[in-house]
This record gives sequence, structure tokens and C-alpha cells, in this order.
Amino acid sequence: MNSKVRALKDIVAEIPDGAHIALGGFAITRNPVAFVFELIRQGKKNLTVYQIVGGMETDLLVGAGLVKRLEYSAGSLDRFGRLERINEAIDKKLIDVREYSGTSMALRFLAGSMGIPFIPTKYLLGTEMLKVLLEKKDDAVRVERSPFDGEKYVYLKALQPDFAIIHAQYADEKGNVIIEGPYWDVETAKSAKKLFVTVEKVVSTEFVKRHPEKVIIPSVYVHAVAEVPFGAFPNAVYKCYDYDKEMLEEYAEVSKDGEKFKKFVDEYILGTKDFEEFLEKVGGVRRLNKIKADPVYGY
Amino acid sequence: MSLPYTTNELMAVTAARLLRDGENVVVGLGLPQIAALLAQNTHAPNLTIIYEIGVINPEAEEMGVGVADPRLWYKAEHFTSFVGTLGAILQKGLIDVGFLGGLQVDKYGNINSTLVKTEKGTRHINGSGGAADMATMARRLLIMMRHEKRKIVDSLDYLTSVGYLRGYDSRKEEGLPVPEDVKIITNLCVFGFDEKTKAIKVLSIHPGVKPEDVIQNTGVALDLSSGVKTTDEPTAEEIDLLRKKIDPQRMYI
Repeated sequence: MNSKVRALKDIVAEIPDGAHIALGGFAITRNPVAFVFELIRQGKKNLTVYQIVGGMETDLLVGAGLVKRLEYSAGSLDRFGRLERINEAIDKKLIDVREYSGTSMALRFLAGSMGIPFIPTKYLLGTEMLKVLLEKKDDAVRVERSPFDGEKYVYLKALQPDFAIIHAQYADEKGNVIIEGPYWDVETAKSAKKLFVTVEKVVSTEFVKRHPEKVIIPSVYVHAVAEVPFGAFPNAVYKCYDYDKEMLEEYAEVSKDGEKFKKFVDEYILGTKDFEEFLEKVGGVRRLNKIKADPVYGY
Repeated sequence: MSLPYTTNELMAVTAARLLRDGENVVVGLGLPQIAALLAQNTHAPNLTIIYEIGVINPEAEEMGVGVADPRLWYKAEHFTSFVGTLGAILQKGLIDVGFLGGLQVDKYGNINSTLVKTEKGTRHINGSGGAADMATMARRLLIMMRHEKRKIVDSLDYLTSVGYLRGYDSRKEEGLPVPEDVKIITNLCVFGFDEKTKAIKVLSIHPGVKPEDVIQNTGVALDLSSGVKTTDEPTAEEIDLLRKKIDPQRMYI
């Protein structure tokens, strides 16, 4: 059997400049941070990024100048702060941003994951998001009457990005992905032409077969798996580790200022050869032990 | 006059009392979550609480920093996806109450949670997430926000989430389902909307607040000449639950 487990560097190298990628993070949880660090290290350009609710990883991609277009519904560091690089990029019109509601993004992914061309919904009707999308003549959005009930709906074009990247707790080498906790990003993952999954740990297929109900994404959808322990740090991974409050606070602060942000990227991303070295640089095992999850509470 | 409870506690209690047993509620962080938990602990034990990220009926012991905080997922009954919550349960019409907040609300209950326009130009803030979707499909909307003149306005800088749109039957004309009820709970009063015109009106003013305070801090003209009632005060039991059980760390109350 061919294993789908590969090195992070190699799967990131598969993504060409100009690619359309979908990300699975949500504010401060299960964000593919290690993957994004590697995208920045490899200096990718002109990416189009799709996401339901973004976090630090998307802010980093935009701030580091990799993104030409962003389609999402919102983003924040929750109570720690806002996605300042993205907000500034929108205000200064540095990138092309298409804003949707959370569910309209999720439904675009759902349609893509099912291989159907579009999906109808009442969401977005009456909002300024819709008005702006129509003004931009975005071909992903049309307002039509349904042939069945004659009612007005927003018809959303299915999204099938070139790549999706999510971070999960476990996968086996065949690519069966176990997600613990809510899995808001399952449709995002399944919509892509190629799905890359970074995981905390690669487990045996024997383990998967003992817990098939925990497999949220079966191997048929998965192109490659990379094992990256603490790959969402400083964000949280349910049952594995809590968010690192100090680092999120630090990021919230430095991202307010272009110069400080650049220093952060230079020091922690470009100044390290891989994610492991970054984790070592910010405190290594000693720091990570402090956020390890309690097995009962999961955080 | 000093009251034996905080304004946030009064807001949480007022919102909690608007929830009925057996209802399905989508909540965000902070006061809405606290209101839903209080209702669950008092008159509405069969309330179902849903977080858009895909969590149903958790029993969190600690408050979190947002719906993405695993603290809020403790002892949940079910985990699903974003499509599973707002794409399915909400879209199927199974949500009774959606809680919303925002940067601005207008006289028809429409909400801006996306950007503010200043003299220096437009400042983008967070974006809508699932809020716009709840405003579209929830049967009732409860908006909670700080009461300031620049926040309750005639027209929004940006319309993120639909309330009664342009009043009257405009929502229906737009192809949108019409909510049964929209209320706004601020730190000064409770607003409702006129049955026909769907324009904002004061339903009750919080204890200790003067009608002029409400008028002066609202960016929409209000007529309080015929008098309004006072918001019911919390009971000792409700305050006790809030302080000892629901938010003992006093993160939001």
C-alpha cells in the first residue's frame, strides 16, 4: 500500500504560484499555521484564498503579501484582537476581497464537495455583501427565482479550489482523517481538487478500524498527509492543546503595525528552517507543556 | 440610585426571560451565551443552545474567548459542521431565536458588523460570520449592544445583517422570510418595532435611567411623550445564579 504521509515541505512545494486554496481554520482553533508558515518560507505568490472564518494564519498570508484575492465571511483572533493585516489590506484596497456570510461560504464548499454546479439559498438577500458582489459582477453569485416555488434565491456557484488545507488531530497513512470536536471545515476539505491534511499524529490503520465513527474525512478525499505536532500553535486543537494566550496577544499587538509585523515574520518564519525550529525558538517543550490539554476537559 | 446588580446582569436577565422552554437558540460569546445559560438554569431547562462552529448543548464550566474556544464545547451533546448548524438546522427553519450584536443598528433593526466610515476613510472591522445568516432565518432576533448615539442610527455605514430592511413589507418583497419579532436590549432600554411600519420604538427603560438619557443617546428620533414602562428587575435568585454558577469569573457580567 502506498502511504500518503509526506514531509510538509514537499506537499507545500506542490502548490504553484497563483493557486486557489481553501483553509480550514476558524478564529483561534485548528488553524493550519505550520502549513502557512511553510507557504511563506517558500515565497508563494498570487494566491486566491477561500475560508469561512479566518484567523492568524490567513492574516499572516495576507500580511506577508502572498494573497491576491480573499473570499471569506469574517475573521478575528476572538477576544485577543482583529485580523489587522487583512483589515488594512481591505481598507487600502491592496487585495481583491469578496465578502460572503458564513453560511453562504460554507454552502459554496458544500456544493463543491458534492460535485453539483450551484446551490440556492435565502442567505445574503438584502445584505450589502450581496450588493457589492453583484456590483463587482462576481460570477459566483446570481439572484434568480426558483423553478419550483417561484421564490427569489441567491444561487451560489460551487467552489472547487485547487487545494484545501486543514489541520486535524489524527490520520492514518491511508489518509483517513479523525477530527475530534466540531468539524466546521469538513465541506471545505472535501470541496478541493486536492486535500492536504496536517495532523498532530499519524496513527495506525488498526486504530482507525477500531474507531471508524471518528473518521470525519475518509481517505478517498485525501491527497496527502503531513505529521506536524503542534501544527496549529499558537491556536487551540481540541483534546490536544489549548491556545497560547501570550503568543496570540503578541501577534494581536505586532500585527497592528506593518514594521513590527514584518519583524515577526522575519524572525519566526523566514528566520527558522521549519516549524519545529520555530517552536524551539519560542520556548520548545517547556512552553508547549503548559498548554497541553487536560484529557477530561479537552483544553 | 445604586442597584444591587450590574447593568450587564440586568441585560442578561432581560434577554433570558425572552427565551422560552424548548426553544432552539443560536448564541455567540458574552452576554447572549450568559442569557441562554441563565434561561436553561431557570425557566427553560429544555432550551437547546447552538454555536455556529458546530456545537450543540454543551455545559461549559468556564467562559471562553469566542465560539472557537474549546472551553465552550465541554460536555456537548453533538458536534457537527458549520453546514450542520447554520446550513441545515437554521436554514430548515428550526431556530427560534438568534442572538446578534454589532457596530451599528438602524431604525429598522438592520445591523452593521463589517465596517465603519470615518473622516479618514473606511475602516474594516471583522465581517459577518454567521450573524447575517441568523438575521435571515431565525424566527426571532435578539440584538444586544451598547447604547450610543453613533451606534443606533438612521442609516448604516454598511448593511451586514437584515432586520426589517426598509420597514413595512420590504423584507417579504426582497424574498426574505419575515421574523416574528425583533428586540434590541441595550444598557439603557429595550427596543421593539412597530407592528405595521416596523420602525424602532422603546418598550421599556431600565430602572434608574431617565427618558432623556435614552433620547439623547439614540441617533434616531424617539417619541416617549406618552410614557414607557420600566424594565422588570432581576430576582435575587437570577443574580445568584449568574454570579455563582454561570459566570463566576465575572468575565462578562
